[in-house]
Amino acid sequence: MAARLSLKQDYEGLLDKYDTWLFDCDGVLWEGDRLVDGAIEVLDLLRSRNKSVMFVTNNATKSRKSYKTKFDKLGVQAHVDEIYGSAFASAVYISSVVKLPKDKRVYVIGMTGIEEELREEGISYLGGTDPADNTLEPFTLANWTPDPAVGAVLCGLDTSINYTKLSKAFQYLLRDPACLFLATNEDSTYPSAEGLLPGAGSIGAPLRFALGRDPISIGKPAGTMLECIKAKHDFDPKRTIMIGDRLNTDIQFGKNGSLATLLVLTGITKESDITGPNASPTVPDYVTKSIGDLRVLIS
Amino acid sequence: MFVTNNATKSRKSYKTKFDKLGVQAHVDEIYGSAFASAVYISSVVKLPKDKRVYVIGMTGIEEELREEGISYLGGTDPADNTLEPFTLANWTPDPAVGAVLCGLDTSINYTKLSKAFQYLLRDPACLFLATNEDSTYPSAEGLLPGAGSIGAPLRFALGRDPISIGKPAGTMLECIKAKHDFDPKRTIMIGDRLNTDIQFGKNGSLATLLVLTGITKESDITGPNASPTVPDYVTKSIGDLRVLIS
Repeated sequence: MAARLSLKQDYEGLLDKYDTWLFDCDGVLWEGDRLVDGAIEVLDLLRSRNKSVMFVTNNATKSRKSYKTKFDKLGVQAHVDEIYGSAFASAVYISSVVKLPKDKRVYVIGMTGIEEELREEGISYLGGTDPADNTLEPFTLANWTPDPAVGAVLCGLDTSINYTKLSKAFQYLLRDPACLFLATNEDSTYPSAEGLLPGAGSIGAPLRFALGRDPISIGKPAGTMLECIKAKHDFDPKRTIMIGDRLNTDIQFGKNGSLATLLVLTGITKESDITGPNASPTVPDYVTKSIGDLRVLIS
Repeated sequence: MFVTNNATKSRKSYKTKFDKLGVQAHVDEIYGSAFASAVYISSVVKLPKDKRVYVIGMTGIEEELREEGISYLGGTDPADNTLEPFTLANWTPDPAVGAVLCGLDTSINYTKLSKAFQYLLRDPACLFLATNEDSTYPSAEGLLPGAGSIGAPLRFALGRDPISIGKPAGTMLECIKAKHDFDPKRTIMIGDRLNTDIQFGKNGSLATLLVLTGITKESDITGPNASPTVPDYVTKSIGDLRVLIS
């Protein structure tokens, strides 16, 4: 059973127990470009209590550096080294786990976030924001020669998704069974400020359906991002808490990493998803309406 | 008769393809999934005339919907065929939309997917229909994503499957029966895809003949991984019947 936080002492208890606080961003700190009420005050409170704060997001549209500018614009204090995105995790996965040879390239369905992180890791890519791949002009295989150096297809949220990109990615994966099929993350929806939109998982769905094959998904709930964090920060899982709004990514990520988990209801998950006969089997340790609730601790 | 899941063309446009290739065909012999979908919406669902269909698809679907007197939006509308950023802040959904119909759309884009997703999300009563679910499309130079792949983002985002109208569903057979008298026992369906063409034949108690000039290869029908969908007959190509020409 999840513990419902409501009393000041409940929140004090969290501060006592946890030194490292991992925050999902979309649906937790903000929705689109709208800050969640109290987000800044609570993060400042945690820092003033010498807590380690990190941001762990599946959003691959921005690199860590670009994400920093979003934090800055919204007035949220953050260091680039505190930001972990699935684009970064994917680049690290490709270079350090898969160890893709340097003469191989990645075909990208995605945006500048993925491209910047791949470049930082020294990984060659094609597709992505290339104008030739961002068109609604008819696509025919007769006009196209696949690049023999492609060794992986990496798919993330791409609001410029189109039939040309899908066809090329499909062909790369079809022609070469050894070509890796990777996804930055599989979130089915994306919580924009005005409502839900299709997420990265939906963007990659055509490939899964056409190939009958699932990608290796690198973002939450997979452990890759936790490995990235561990490589750069020392932390005790027993004194670490993951705060998120989506059960099958954020909360599952926390559970997979033996972290404590706190669900907020300012994003994807609603009361009806966690109570009653259809309640999800993924049960967070704690539930609170919003991270703003921790303001009760500000004297 | 010609029974195709390809919804990119209306029956009339398909006739021009037949003509161009020199294949004799009458419009009334052609059954496409765009036509079947229009008939399904007007005659089976009986969508009220004040309701509209949001279309992910091309001119084939639009022409067949118009012929059945069904109002639609989306489709080939330039506003829905753009790679410009889409934001819900700039968009007011049309309250008249009562169904989303999804077919092969080579102009698929995030704007169309977002609108269709929102229509289905906001109104649980909004119908989610697919002209067909073929996973791939056999172009002359190789396989490309098919209609089923185009609709996959919606299935994934909603956690909901569409009602699929094309083969192997029975709707197209009902369309044919409504216009032609035929004896299922003396009817044979010839196709290249097991889970659409052959299954369609089986569902309709027709005989089935598989050809190997398209999607299905020898390795799909023999050995330990052979498909459980077994056609009555197999031949390499319909051209094999030339042996009967004296």
